[in-house]
This record gives sequence, structure tokens and C-alpha cells, in this order.
Amino acid sequence: MSEPVTTPPAPEAQTYTLSSKPESLWHQALKKFLNNKLAIAGLIVMLIFITLALLAPVIQPYPPAKIDLLGASPVPSEAHWLGTDHIGRDVVSRLLSGSRVSLLVGFTVAAGTVIVGCIIGSIAGFFGDWVDSVLMRFIDVMLSFPALFLNILVLAIFGGKFIYLILIMVFTSWMGVARLVRGQFLQLREMQYVEAARATGVPAWQIMFNHLLRNATGPIIVSATLSVGGAILGESALSFLGLGIQPPQTSWGQMLSNSQEYMLTNPMFAVYPGLCIFLTVLAINFVGDGIRDALDPRQKVRIPKGRLAQWRARFSK
Amino acid sequence: MSEYLIRRLLQSILVLFLISLVSFGLIHAAPGGPTTMLIKPNQSPEIVKIQLHNMGLDRPLHIQYWSWLTRMLKGDFGTTFKAGRPVGDFVWPALKNSLILMTTAWVLQMLIAIPWGIYNSTRQYGFSDNTAAVIGYAGMAMPTFWFAILMQELFSLKLNWLPLSNMYSMNKIGQFSDLVLHMILPVSVLVIIGLASYTRYARASMLEVLGQDYVRTARAKGVSEGKVVFKHALRNALIPIVTILGLDLPGVVAGAALTETVFNWPGMGRLFVDMAFAREYTVIMAVVMIVAVVVIIGNLIADILYALVDPRVRLTGKGAASA
Repeated sequence: MSEPVTTPPAPEAQTYTLSSKPESLWHQALKKFLNNKLAIAGLIVMLIFITLALLAPVIQPYPPAKIDLLGASPVPSEAHWLGTDHIGRDVVSRLLSGSRVSLLVGFTVAAGTVIVGCIIGSIAGFFGDWVDSVLMRFIDVMLSFPALFLNILVLAIFGGKFIYLILIMVFTSWMGVARLVRGQFLQLREMQYVEAARATGVPAWQIMFNHLLRNATGPIIVSATLSVGGAILGESALSFLGLGIQPPQTSWGQMLSNSQEYMLTNPMFAVYPGLCIFLTVLAINFVGDGIRDALDPRQKVRIPKGRLAQWRARFSK
Repeated sequence: MSEYLIRRLLQSILVLFLISLVSFGLIHAAPGGPTTMLIKPNQSPEIVKIQLHNMGLDRPLHIQYWSWLTRMLKGDFGTTFKAGRPVGDFVWPALKNSLILMTTAWVLQMLIAIPWGIYNSTRQYGFSDNTAAVIGYAGMAMPTFWFAILMQELFSLKLNWLPLSNMYSMNKIGQFSDLVLHMILPVSVLVIIGLASYTRYARASMLEVLGQDYVRTARAKGVSEGKVVFKHALRNALIPIVTILGLDLPGVVAGAALTETVFNWPGMGRLFVDMAFAREYTVIMAVVMIVAVVVIIGNLIADILYALVDPRVRLTGKGAASA
């Protein structure tokens, strides 16, 4: 499992002893992740945004919905760092308060997606046979129709309530995780330890959770992380169309929804919320990619050139 | 091959049937479904009853569904609730406009992405490859509509090079050169956002094949590098690219909904958004069904192409269907 190349010890400092325990898979992955500069940068940016969102009610300079028609000015000033919108609401305060909604939607939808995907994927993968066929055809149907259309339809009919937004976004995005979990299960259920568990009379649901799902954790974490970004983008699109978060509540997408009308007078108005979405999703995607690379045993660690030269010098004699 | 085709066709029809059932059911389950659209506050219940009867909305649901389905198969989508105009008047022009935009963007995207991906696979981590990676990361993290708004601000408001939105200028309706001018921005948005992921995909697919033993064998027996890349590798690398074309089709159709809204392009996506807000259920159902048909035809074409390029699918009849 642990090739010498994947965990390069410091050449001088470390001495090998036969009794030293091999590193656990998670420990190795953590080490790899910490060495990934992009992933760490993404993690830091993500944590900054989360902190700001959590602290928003405390640090926002104005109530985000406070209208001040007389003081409305797009020009940044001492009082309003990024100016105000067309009816005098402070842009910084609105960005902060919007971040709460956008991130909340992102993480909730991702969690829902993973839960639903895991349940359906596990059932399909574990029971196989006709259960599997039926569920897979259902997934085919779900995938063959644009998710955004279904979201628009449901939200336009039932109204843009927060809970509807979450539910319909989960309903239209669990298929990827379900396929992934099913694929993992199909591989894992042929393993001998599963056979052994069956033979010793472990109940089916325990095999599913303790033996199969736990061994599929890695890919599930990766797809969960990546689906946070997707959910934030999805929310922004729906709110942009006026179907997601409704005023006076605000989200980044909702802030963009009337930016087109004020393009001539205040072009920067469209830039800030979009930039927030962009940076957040980019950061989350970097973290997701970092986790994927860290958990992928095939992925080799990039060895610094200096160290490589050192090794060559030592071993080429 | 023909047996495989027939099975896929039957499957497609089943899927279409399910979609029609779901969309019909969803709309009739909605609070304030189609029946309430007709009721005005000052109308007496008798008149409402007559009206519902005339529209056929007082019949049992399964009969309503059947008559909707059979009329739709003949190309009759019914009339709108509010204005009473035939739904076809809205839907067909919108479909045409969408297809003009989409196919242009689609073809351009492929023409750029596949060669670019192949090039990048032969020069891994070079400048061009890294550029594609950066564009890919940016495109994945950016809301399409935001990018579209930024392009509008830059190219039509600031630089004044291109028209802001719509399909034609007011006084030049139907003029081809004017259409092209209006298409530049939306098409660029669609191409740039989708480009990088396809380039990435083509590159990954090529790299996988280039690492195979038969490529090494070809090189070892002295086949020229160009022949190795284009003859030995490319043919096999195309297989996954072809499938992704079909699978991504729904995303493309939907992605255009936002681009169309931003650029005020009178296509299917915008029609759907407008009609969903106006609760014009007949139009919504028509759009849903047409999009479903387009998507399923796309998937079917992808599967057929897949079978054509990959003999294994043809022989076993599996693969694409179970993948």
C-alpha cells in the first residue's frame, strides 16, 4: 500500500525501523492534501467566506434591507465601501447577508443530494436484479430531462419558498451520487469480506452500512464537495430568474437578478455578487479536487525537484 | 445492429411516455392548476362550468391525458388559456430560434474543443494545456448568466462593438447579417463556458488511449507520430467523446435558458421561463415535450454513433444501454 515514493521521508532526519506502523490511509490522504497548494488556498478562501457568513449579522455595517433613497449612490464612499444599489441599500451588507443564503443552500442541497443518492444507489447496488434495473431506468429518465427546466416549472407553480427550493434542487441532482454509490457497491459486494459477513448472518442493512457504504466514503466525500459548488451555481441561476430567494431576503443570485436594468448607471453592481459566487465555487472546487487527488491511490505525489536531485545523487553511486 | 436500434427506440418511446405522464401529472397537481386559470371573480358558477366543459377540463384526468396525448401526436398542442391563440404559434418559432443559436454554438464548440484537446494531449502541461485548464476551472465556477452580463457590459455598453440583446435590430428584422451580429455575444458565451470542459474531456480521453499497449507497439514498429495520434489513438479516443455529446444535451438546452434570458433571445428557454411565470400550462407542456423529444433524439443519435465507432457495442448489444 505505502510505496516509498508516495511518502517520501526527509532524507537525513528519519530512520527506518521495522516496527514503525504503516500510515493509515486517511493520514496519508491528509498529508497529500496539505501538500496541495491549490487545495489549501481553496480551503482558506472557503473558510473566510464561511466565517464572514456566520458573522454577517454582527459585522454588517447596515441592515441589508434598509432602504435609503436619498443616500443612494453607486460610488464607493467612506460610509458605503462598495456604494449602494438603486434604492440605497448598502452593497457590502447585502453581500454579507446574501452569502448566508447562498452558502446555506449550497451545503444543504449537497447534503440532501448525498443522502438521497446514497440511499437509492445503495438499494440499487446491493439488491441488484430488477430493483437495480428499475432504479437505473428511472435515473436515465431523470437525466434525460434538463434539471433547470424542472426547477423552473416547480418553483413557478408552487412559488419560490426556501424549502421548495432546497427540495426541488435535491430532487434534480441526486442521480450522479446514486450512480457512483451503485458502481462502488457492485464492485465491493463481490469482495470476500462481504461474503464472510453474509455467511456469518450479518443483516443486510448492516452489510450495507458497515461494509459497503463505509468503504465507498472517499468518492462520496469528493462528489459531495463538488456538488456544493454546483448547488450554489444552481441557486444563483434560479434566484436570477426571480424564482429562488424572494426579496426582502437576499442571495448573491438574487442581487444579480435586477443588475441588468442598472448596467448603464452602475456596471459594478453586477460584478460584486458574481465575483463572490465565482470565488466561492472556485475555492470549493479546488478543495474537492484536492480531496479527490488525496484519496486517489493512483495519483502520485509530485516530488520537489531539489529532493529528486538529492535522491539521484545518493542512489546513483 | 438493427436489433440494438429497435430496443433503443422502444426504450426512448417509453421514456417519452413517462415524461409526458409526469409533466401532465405535475401540472394538474399544482395548486391553482389549469382550471383556476379560467375562473374570473365576477363569473357565475354556471358559466365557469360551461367554460370548463368547453375546454374539456371537467372530464376525468385519464381521459384528459389521453386526448391531450393523441392530439399532441398529431401536432396539435391546443390553445393558450389567456389569449386563446394556438400554442404552436409560440412554440415552433421559439424552437427554430433556439436551434439557430444552439447548433451554431454546439458545432463551433466541437470544432475548437476536439482538436484543441488532441493537441493538448500531445503536449501535456504546456502553455496551451495550462491555458485550457485555467479556462476550465473558471468556466466551471462561473454562473453562465453572470459571464453573459459581463460580456454585455464590456462589448456592447463600454466598447459599443456589438448589439446588447434581441435577435434582430428593430428596423432590420429578417436580415442575415444583422442576425449574425446579434449572435456573436450569446454564441461566444455558450462556446467559452462549455469549451474548456470538452477540451479537457478530449484530452483525457486521448491520454488514456495514448498510454495503451497497442500505441506503444505502433510506435515501436516505427509508425510516424502523426499516424499514431490520428489513426491509432484518435479513433479509440472518440468513443467516450461521442457519448458525452449525447449525455450533455439536456444541460446545453437548459443552459441556454439563462443565456437566452440575458440576451433576450426569443428561444425555447426564454419562452419556458416566461410561460412558467404566466402559468400558461398548455405552452409549458408543449415545451416540456418538445425539449424531451429533442434530448431523446440527441441521446439516440449518440448511442447510434457509439455503436458505429465501437464494434463491441454492436456485437453484444450492451454497453451504451447499461452504461
